Amino acid sequence: MTAQAAIRPLGPTRRLARRHAWTAAVVAFFAVLLAWSASQTRNFGAFELQTLLASTLPLAYLAMAQSVVVIGGGIDLSVGSMMVLVNCLSARLMEGTDLGGSLLVAAGCLALAAALGALTGLVITVSKVPDIIVTLATSFVWGGVALFILPTPGGGTSEGFSALVLGSGSAWWPALLCLLAPLLLVWAPLRRSRAGIAIYALGSSRDAAYLSGVDPLRTKVVAYAVAGLLAGLAGLATTAFTVGGSPQSTIAMNATLNSVAAIVLGGVALSGGVGGLIGPVFAVWCLYLIPNIMLGLGVDPSYGEVVKGVVVVLVVLAGGLLRARRNRAP
Amino acid sequence: MTQVAVKDEAQEPERSLLARIAAADRPTLALIGVLVALVVANGLIDRNFLSLSQLRNTLLVTAPLALLAGGQTLCMLTGGIDLSVAMTATAAAYVTGVQSSEGAVLAIVAGLLVGVVVGLVNGLAIGLFHVNPLIMTLGMSGILTGLLTVGSQTFLGGATRMSELVLELGGGTIVGPIPWNLVVWLLLGGALVVGLRRTGLGRLIYAVGDNRVACRLAGVRVWQVEVAVYTLCALLAAVAGILIGGRSGSVDLQLAAGFLLPSVAAAVIGGTSILGGIGGYTGTILGAVILAVLDTMLNLLNFDEALKQVLYGFIILALAWAYARGTATGD
Repeated sequence: MTAQAAIRPLGPTRRLARRHAWTAAVVAFFAVLLAWSASQTRNFGAFELQTLLASTLPLAYLAMAQSVVVIGGGIDLSVGSMMVLVNCLSARLMEGTDLGGSLLVAAGCLALAAALGALTGLVITVSKVPDIIVTLATSFVWGGVALFILPTPGGGTSEGFSALVLGSGSAWWPALLCLLAPLLLVWAPLRRSRAGIAIYALGSSRDAAYLSGVDPLRTKVVAYAVAGLLAGLAGLATTAFTVGGSPQSTIAMNATLNSVAAIVLGGVALSGGVGGLIGPVFAVWCLYLIPNIMLGLGVDPSYGEVVKGVVVVLVVLAGGLLRARRNRAP
Repeated sequence: MTQVAVKDEAQEPERSLLARIAAADRPTLALIGVLVALVVANGLIDRNFLSLSQLRNTLLVTAPLALLAGGQTLCMLTGGIDLSVAMTATAAAYVTGVQSSEGAVLAIVAGLLVGVVVGLVNGLAIGLFHVNPLIMTLGMSGILTGLLTVGSQTFLGGATRMSELVLELGGGTIVGPIPWNLVVWLLLGGALVVGLRRTGLGRLIYAVGDNRVACRLAGVRVWQVEVAVYTLCALLAAVAGILIGGRSGSVDLQLAAGFLLPSVAAAVIGGTSILGGIGGYTGTILGAVILAVLDTMLNLLNFDEALKQVLYGFIILALAWAYARGTATGD
C-alpha cells in the first residue's frame, strides 16, 4: 500500500473511497439482502430485527475476534473452541444466579478468555511455530477443557442476563448495543493507539514493522488478548441466547470456519494488515440472511450452504483479481 | 523437467550421503522412538494390546487417517492446506453407497470421480485464479455440505447400503491381523513416498513449496503442480472416505468430519511444515500411527474425552515447537 502511494499519490477523497470501498460494498450488499428479506415477510419490523441481531451476535463477536488476529498477520483456529469454553464455563457458573451474580461470572470469564488469548500470542511468538498450528493445538485444549467443565449440554443463566444481552420480544437495541460496546470501548481506542497501529504494521510486513521498532511479542500478545476477549464475548452471547452451554466440538469447528468466511467476505485480507471490524460484522449478517431469503423463495435452505460457499469463493476471487489489476496498473 | 535437473545438480556438491541421511532422519528416528514407547506403554497397560485382534483394530483406524493425512501432506508441502478433505471423503462415500445397486466397481469409480471433480475445482481455483487455499477449500467444504444435505433428500436419495466389495475393503480381513484397507493404504502410501522422492512432479511439489517465485522464474508451471496436488489430495480423500464408509457400513453426513483436524495434526506431528517445502509422507505415516496408538492408549486408560483432547493439543504443540527449534538451530 505505502509503496503504491509513493508511486501514485491519491487525493484524500479517492484514498478514503479506496480504503472503505470494500466495507461500503458489503454494507450495500447487506442493505439489498435486508430489503429483499423484508419484502418477503408480511410485517417486517422490530421482531425480525431482534431475531437477526440476537442470533448473529455470537458469530459477529467471533468474526471480530478473527479479524483482529488476521489483521495482525495471524489466523486463529481456536476462536470457536474459546467460544465454546466460555459458553460452558459461564453456563455452569451462572446457573441459579441472579443478574448481579451473572454479571460477575461474565466479567471473570472475559478476564480468563483474554488471559488465555494473551498466552496463545506469547506461545506463538516465543515458539516461532506458525499461528495456524499453535491455534490448532489450543483449539483441542480449549475444547477438552470445555468438555471437562460441562460433559453434557446443560447449565443455565439468569433471565435478567439474557434480557440484558439480547433484549426480549421485539426490543432489538440491547443486542445492537452489546455488539457496539466492544467496537467503541475496545477497538476504536486501540486502533488509534500505538498498539493498534503496531498490529496493522505487523500484519502488513513483519520485517518492516520489526525494523521500525515494533515489538512483535507485545503486539502479538495484544492482538490475541483482544481476540480472546471478543471470543469470550461470543461465548457469553451464546450462553444468553441458548440459556445454557453445549460442549460439542462440531459447534466450535463450524463457528471457527464461519468466522474465517465472514472476515474474508468482510474485506480482511488473509495476508494481514488490511481491513477493519465493521465489514466482517455486516458479512455475518449477510451470511445469515442468505438461507432465510432462500427459504422465502421456496428453495431448500440447505442450498444456503452451497450459496454461502460460492459467494465466499467468488468474493475472494474477485478481490484477488482486483488487487492484481491495481498492482499491475502503472 | 530441466528445472529439476538444475535443482538436483545444485544440491549435488553438499551431498555427503551419510550426513544427509542422519540429518534428514533425525526427526524420523525420534518419532519412531515415541511410537515404540507408546506401543510398549500400551502393552504394559493392557496385555491384550499386543494381541492380533487389537493390532487389527488399530490398523483399521490408521489406514483412512493416513490416507487423508497423505493428501494433506501434499497440499502442505506446496504451502497450502485442504480443509475440504473430510467433506470430500464423506461425499465420495455417499455417492459410492447410493450407486452400490449399480454394481460395486461402478460405485467405487463413481465415488472416486467425486474426488477428482472436487480436486480439479479446488486446484484450478487455487492454481489458476489464486484463491487462497484456506478459503477455497473452506468454501468447497460448505458447498459439499449443502449439496449432500439437499442431495440426501432428492437426487442422492435411496438406500446407502454399501456393497459387499466395499464392506470387505473397508472392514474385512485378509489373513490374521491384516485388514484389506491396510493393503489399499500400503499400495497408495508406497506410491506416494516413492512419487515424492523420485518423480519430477514430486520434486516440483517441494520446489513450489520452498520458493514459488523462483519456481515460476525457472519456468515451472506452478498452477499445473497445484492442480495435480489438489486433485491427488481429493482423490486420496475419496479413497479414504470409501474405506471409512465400508467400515461403518452405512453413510451419514458426519461420516468423516472427525478426521479433518487429525489429518492436519498427523502431517504436523510427522514434521511437514505448514509453510511448505519441508517434510514428507514417511513422517506423516508415523504421525498417523502415533495418533491411532495414542487414541487406543487413552481409551485403554479410560481417559475421558475431555482429557484426551487436552493431551492431544499439548502433544501437537510440543512436537511443532520441537520441530521449530530444530529448524532454527539445525541449519
